[in-house]
Amino acid sequence: MVPLDDLATKRKWDKSSKSFDFLTFADDRRYGPYKRELFQKIRGKTLMLAAGTGNDFKFFPPGLDFVAIDISAKMLEKAAIKAARYDGKIELREMDVCHLDYADDVFDTIVTVCTFCSVPKPVAGLRELRRVLKPGGQILMFEHVRSTIGPFGILLDLMTALSRRFGPDMNRDTVGNVQKAGFRLRRIGNVYLDIVKTIEGVKEHA
Amino acid sequence: MLFAIGDYLAGILVGILTTFAVRLCVAPGMDMVVAMVIGMTAGMVVHVVVGFLLAPFVGMFETMMPGSVIGMYGGMFFAMRDSMGAGSTTALSAAIVGGAFGAIVVFAVRTYDRILHGTVLDTGE
Repeated sequence: MVPLDDLATKRKWDKSSKSFDFLTFADDRRYGPYKRELFQKIRGKTLMLAAGTGNDFKFFPPGLDFVAIDISAKMLEKAAIKAARYDGKIELREMDVCHLDYADDVFDTIVTVCTFCSVPKPVAGLRELRRVLKPGGQILMFEHVRSTIGPFGILLDLMTALSRRFGPDMNRDTVGNVQKAGFRLRRIGNVYLDIVKTIEGVKEHA
Repeated sequence: MLFAIGDYLAGILVGILTTFAVRLCVAPGMDMVVAMVIGMTAGMVVHVVVGFLLAPFVGMFETMMPGSVIGMYGGMFFAMRDSMGAGSTTALSAAIVGGAFGAIVVFAVRTYDRILHGTVLDTGE
C-alpha cells in the first residue's frame, strides 16, 4: 500500500506539472551550466531521480543510457517528449524514491536535481539510494537548502509554510541528511549564496 | 547579462512599491515602533507578491533573497522616516529613494553571492 504522504506528494506534483516549465524558465537557464558541469562526472549505470518534466535531460552528456524516475505520472508524460529528443537512451519509470524497485548495489551513479526539497522523508529516501548504489558508487546532487545566513534562513523557514502547499520545502538541511544517510561527502559547491548547491557523495566500500 | 539587469529591475521595483506601500500605511506622528512593524509587514507582502510574479523570468532565489531584504529592512527604514515626518515630499522623490535602496541591496547581495560562490569542500578525489 502506498503511504499517504507519498500519495499527497504524487498529487501535488501531478498538479504542478502543468506550470512547472513556466515557473522554472529562468532557473533552468541560470543553473544549466552548473548542472552540465556536474553531470560530466556521471559514469557507469546511472539512475536519475525526480526527472520532472525532463528539463534537465539536455544537460546530460550525449550518448548515455540511464533510468529516470519520478513519482508523478503527469510529469513523466511531459518528460517522455524531452527524453525522445535526447541523444542517447532514457528509460522513464514511475517510482517513489523511498521504495525503489531495484536490488541492492545496482547503480554506479545516482543523479538528483532539486529532489530532496520535496521528498517527505529525506533521510529514508537517501538511505534507499545508498542501498541501490554499488559500493564506491557516487551520488551527484543539485539541490537548494536552508541558508545559514540569519535573515535568509528565517525567510526560507517562513516561505516553506507557503511553498510546500504546491511545491518544495525551502529549508531542508540536505547536506546534513546526506551524511545521516551514510554517504561520505566528496565535494560541495555553492551555486547561489549558500542556498543552491552541488553536493557529491560516495558510498564507501564495506 | 540580461539576468543581471533583471535582478536590478526586480530589486528597484520592490524598493519603489515598498516605499509607496509604506506611504499609504504610515502617517507622520505615528508611534515609531508600530510604524516600523507595519512598514516591515507591508514590505514583506510587496516582496512576496512581486517575487512570485517575477520569479519565472528572473529566478526564484535571485528574486526572493534580495527582495526579502529590501521589503523587510526597507519597509522598516521608510516607516521610521515617514513616522518622523521626514519622508520624501513628492511621489517621484519617494520612488527614487526606494529604487536606489533596492538597487544598492541587489548590488550587495550579488557581491556576497560572488564571495560565497564556488567550492566549499573538496576532498580532492
